[in-house]
Amino acid sequence: MGKKNDELFRFVEYSAEAAERTGYSDYSYWKSVFQNFMKKKSAVVMAIIFFALVIFSFIALMIGKYNYSSLLTDSALAFQSPNGEFWFGTDNLGRDYWCQVWFAAQTSIKLALIVAIGECVLGVTIGCLWGYVRQLDRLLTELYNIINNIPMIIYMTLISLMVGQSFFIMSVAMICFGWLTMARNVRNLVLMYRDREYNLASRCLGTPVWRVLVKNIFPYLVSIVILRLALSIPSTIALESTLSYLGLGLGIDTPSLGILLRNARNYFLDYPYLLIFPAAIVSLITITFYLVGNAFSDAADPRNHV
Amino acid sequence: MIKYTIKRLAQSLVTVAIVATIVFLLMRMLPTDYFFTEDQLMKLTPEQKTEQLEAAGLLDPMGEQLLRFYGQTIRLDFGQSRRIQSGVPVIRVIGDKFGISLRLGCIALIISLIVGVVLGIIQTLNKDHILDHVGTAYTIFVNAVPSLVSYSLVLVFGSKVLGLPPIYSTRNPGPSSIIPIACLTLASIASYALWTRRYMVDELNKDYIKLARIKGMSSKTIMVKHVFKNAFVPLVQYIPASFLYTISGSLLAERFFSVPGMGPLLTDAITRYDTNVVQTLSIIYASLGIIGVFLGDVLMMLVDPRIKLAGKGGTR
Amino acid sequence: MKKAKKLAAVLLTAALAMGTLAGGGMVSSAEELNELWTFETSNRELENLIILNTEMANDLNVLCNTTEGLLETDSKGQLIPGIASEWGTEDGGLTWTFKLREGVKWVDWQGNEKGDVTAQDWITALEWVMNAKKNGANNTSMPTTLIAGAGDYYNYTKDLSDEEAYALDKTKFLEMVGIEAPDDYTLIYHCVSNAPYFDTVATSACLYPMAQGFIDEVGVENVLSTGIEGLWYNGPYTLTEFVQGNTKTLTKNPLYWDTEAKLFDNVVIRIIEDTTRGYELYDAGELDHTDLSEATLRQIYDDEGHKYHDQLVEKMPRKYSYQMKFNYSKMKDDGTPDDNWNKAVANENFRKSIYYGLNLVPYLARTNFINPLHCENNAYTMKGLLYFSDGTEYTARVAEKLGLPESDGENPRRYDPDLAAECKAKAMEELEAQGVTFPIQIDYYIIAGAQNALDSATVLKQIFEEGLGSDYVTLNIDTYVSSQTQEVIDPQLQSFVINGWGADYGDIQNYLGQETLGEDTAYYSMNYTNINDATDETLLATWQEYTDMVNAANAIVDDLDARYDAYADAEAYMLEHAMTIPMSLEVAWQLTKVNDYTRSNAMYGIQNYMYKNWDTSVDAYTTEQYAEFAEEYNK
Repeated sequence: MGKKNDELFRFVEYSAEAAERTGYSDYSYWKSVFQNFMKKKSAVVMAIIFFALVIFSFIALMIGKYNYSSLLTDSALAFQSPNGEFWFGTDNLGRDYWCQVWFAAQTSIKLALIVAIGECVLGVTIGCLWGYVRQLDRLLTELYNIINNIPMIIYMTLISLMVGQSFFIMSVAMICFGWLTMARNVRNLVLMYRDREYNLASRCLGTPVWRVLVKNIFPYLVSIVILRLALSIPSTIALESTLSYLGLGLGIDTPSLGILLRNARNYFLDYPYLLIFPAAIVSLITITFYLVGNAFSDAADPRNHV
Repeated sequence: MIKYTIKRLAQSLVTVAIVATIVFLLMRMLPTDYFFTEDQLMKLTPEQKTEQLEAAGLLDPMGEQLLRFYGQTIRLDFGQSRRIQSGVPVIRVIGDKFGISLRLGCIALIISLIVGVVLGIIQTLNKDHILDHVGTAYTIFVNAVPSLVSYSLVLVFGSKVLGLPPIYSTRNPGPSSIIPIACLTLASIASYALWTRRYMVDELNKDYIKLARIKGMSSKTIMVKHVFKNAFVPLVQYIPASFLYTISGSLLAERFFSVPGMGPLLTDAITRYDTNVVQTLSIIYASLGIIGVFLGDVLMMLVDPRIKLAGKGGTR
Repeated sequence: MKKAKKLAAVLLTAALAMGTLAGGGMVSSAEELNELWTFETSNRELENLIILNTEMANDLNVLCNTTEGLLETDSKGQLIPGIASEWGTEDGGLTWTFKLREGVKWVDWQGNEKGDVTAQDWITALEWVMNAKKNGANNTSMPTTLIAGAGDYYNYTKDLSDEEAYALDKTKFLEMVGIEAPDDYTLIYHCVSNAPYFDTVATSACLYPMAQGFIDEVGVENVLSTGIEGLWYNGPYTLTEFVQGNTKTLTKNPLYWDTEAKLFDNVVIRIIEDTTRGYELYDAGELDHTDLSEATLRQIYDDEGHKYHDQLVEKMPRKYSYQMKFNYSKMKDDGTPDDNWNKAVANENFRKSIYYGLNLVPYLARTNFINPLHCENNAYTMKGLLYFSDGTEYTARVAEKLGLPESDGENPRRYDPDLAAECKAKAMEELEAQGVTFPIQIDYYIIAGAQNALDSATVLKQIFEEGLGSDYVTLNIDTYVSSQTQEVIDPQLQSFVINGWGADYGDIQNYLGQETLGEDTAYYSMNYTNINDATDETLLATWQEYTDMVNAANAIVDDLDARYDAYADAEAYMLEHAMTIPMSLEVAWQLTKVNDYTRSNAMYGIQNYMYKNWDTSVDAYTTEQYAEFAEEYNK
């Protein structure tokens, strides 16, 4: 009998083309996502504003009357409210605030984006493996528990002592310890969908793991992943400012919005503009990502597709 | 179930032991200068410094130090604080503090859970209407403004307009806790509302809800019996952990309002090289974290009977 | 907007009134506060309760109220009787005798009597300090150098086991160490060599008393972990509340010996995150004085109508004299000598160009933008440490010897751009001949994350650029994360540090002795300037000359005026050769209900925060009142 079975059934060599052929339709996932997203006008507007902000930060530095790298201190000019000469006023040392704010905005956006994308890539990859590959579950759960349970500040102190402080080190460090939440969320979702019947079927048909993950499971993750991503941007900015507050942040030659806000905290009762400008930009970034993230996450949910 | 619990606990002990070891080793990698105060650095001779380090056992081989540490920890002897409160047993230092963090944290957590979940439900019920937008605006605002700034705003409003005490005072703990608690709830209300709304909206889109609607079930029943119950499952998992984490306090809020709680303790202990305090805190935090996840799993299982913990592969 | 402001103002007044009722003194005795509400920032919380075991100001500022020593200091920084009513030396400072008051009591935290204060308590205490196993080498440096046999006793105990050292009675100690008590109220110290200033050491923590009865009560091994409820007190206050990170309350000691003294009923010390919060609390009536952050100070100062505008008052200088100390043996990051810098700094004209060429006014304005020149420092020794017998202040004599011009009220007295340009030209010529490349890189390290330090460094960088030119020098601002000693000083990476020294005792030797060549006791030479590793012969000759001058002054023990004058010569020599660059004093602004001119104002010792005989007022002092106090004080 066994012998006959062997003859009757045999595994077909997997071919992506053949797989596509049966499932072919006009439907394209990403196209639908895009179409759905474009329907949310507020999100689209915010996204445009955000891009405008990024572009403007470069223009702003060019049209400003002062150059960040050659700012001079002058105690007589300290705490000047915004005026024709100093568009955003001056700080406590009498330096132009306009170029500081825009320079810092660039740093912060760059950092937040790099960290968010890094966390996302690392978190989703590890989360998928963690959830899907049973053998890895124990190992990764243990790893997660350990990393998650050692206070971040111990790592950050050690890193800055042993490796130093710079933009690159900071972003790598934040990614290294930031992927955990994302990975855990993804893992829980993967667990939920892993044993659904269609995946079982897929597996029986010999579809490789990566393809099941990418084609069958990933679309379900996109909406949550994007929401996390959007929320990680403000938290990166906040974490960065907390770390700077503890002396573990970016190097001194790279001011960030977090640092400006931290400093302004001491001044804002007397000189509110020092807080308002950086806070406005941070808020704008956060709101954009929140709205865009929400809209995109709705649009990415396959169940909302026609 | 009991077998499973024991197994989980044994695993957790291993995790805590690994965490403690790593923290122990990490602390030994920090420069020994931390061990001394500024004045000691200035006034002690190099020989005296070496003697001090020797007396504290910091110059012994790492393996020996580690074994000693294990021995003491097993006997639940966490040693004495070196700099936070010189000479005082670590347990007493922490004991004095955690009650305050726990009290403030729990009050804040209960308030934010209730307000946050209710807000999330209201938002879902009024999806895309004015109340939803108001809620969203609040969430956005809280997330958009860095906490140091929003604390400052709460502080100005509370102390200048309402006349509340601006920092925590042992003379009148009640009124002076109001502003710190308000600050603590600010962010967590937003996050509970956000996730409640998210999960409920997700649930609303599911096919069985559509079916229920078609079947003619009243939308109230759908909401209460199906949507809320199912949406609450993923949320429930984090509640025990959040409760336990209140013990660890909030670094920023407690420092900002001079609350004598656990929040700033870890940072202070690290910068003062108070190794015993750091190690004890790490062990406590790790245990809390692990217990929190475990209780979360149990709670989730109670809420959703489909989930089985002991099952092979574990679908928690 | 206006309306809201008005409402806020009304509520504010109400809150202020309530705060005064709750916190500040109720108006019972006409004017003065009978409860003082003060503060410390969170990084300066009390860490030790045993005064002998700590040398940190944040501990001593509290503990000097709970334990009292032999002598006290007054508002002019002169010694006055404390528990010792009479004291003196008859052999030029070799033997010192203190006569103690009778009837001084030890009390517990509730003010109940525990025992009598006798000369034995000082013997117990010194044994504790010098016992390596009991006190962990804290507070040992001064007794070791001053008291006969103290260092030997430390070395003796060091080699004992913990148990043996704990069990020691005082027989061995009294045998080895030069301290004795012929009767319960007479205490005699024998010094290693003539120390005409030994009595000023009696105001330091190392010579404070400790009761044997207390040690017996709690047990030797529990002394350091005793809480406030187990301590014995003999000072003007007892500690009745200690909530770490929030509040400490000092309560008047009912059995305090000095019944004439003016004390507060309670002194409440609150922990605040930073000075900005202090101002908020002051404004809410929850503090009786506050320091002012840069922004708040400027806001109040610029706004004539501000409610506090007329109450801005200047503090007295803190006891630290800040210096720019060069590193004469600088290393690069890779551990090889930084020859370029080492050659430059060995050149006297180079150092002089910095000495004369920096217009430090913007730097000083960082501390005090209203009167930057009040922070000007032109000496190595702290102003006000000592006076000649004719009343001349010591650093004034140094300035005289240096021939410094009178202040013009705008520029620092030392600043001389023409002379600096001359020195620069000479230095460039001489250094080019030695193959030094320009601009010379100067590395200055500050702590990471401290905005205030960064702002000051930025200002300093600009002063260097403007005063010396970027063709000549470049100031690089670098950071360290936590430990300056470990990250910067040990690997010798810095070109200079800016560092303040506060005196341990009342003698110039304590300042000048830190910079001598080839002596182990010279703290700065050994740790910061690395002068002993320098190779340039002219440089070393200059240093040797200075060291000889200091030692000559040390040897004068019978005539204090002559001694101080000899020190002034050495200090003037040091400054003329720009061996160090005096930077600043700390004179900040505040709002206060305390008359600082009635507090202890010693430049040595630990008693400036002893809340005894302070004049206070329920209404904040005005700028005018303070000007009168200052005038009266400086008469």
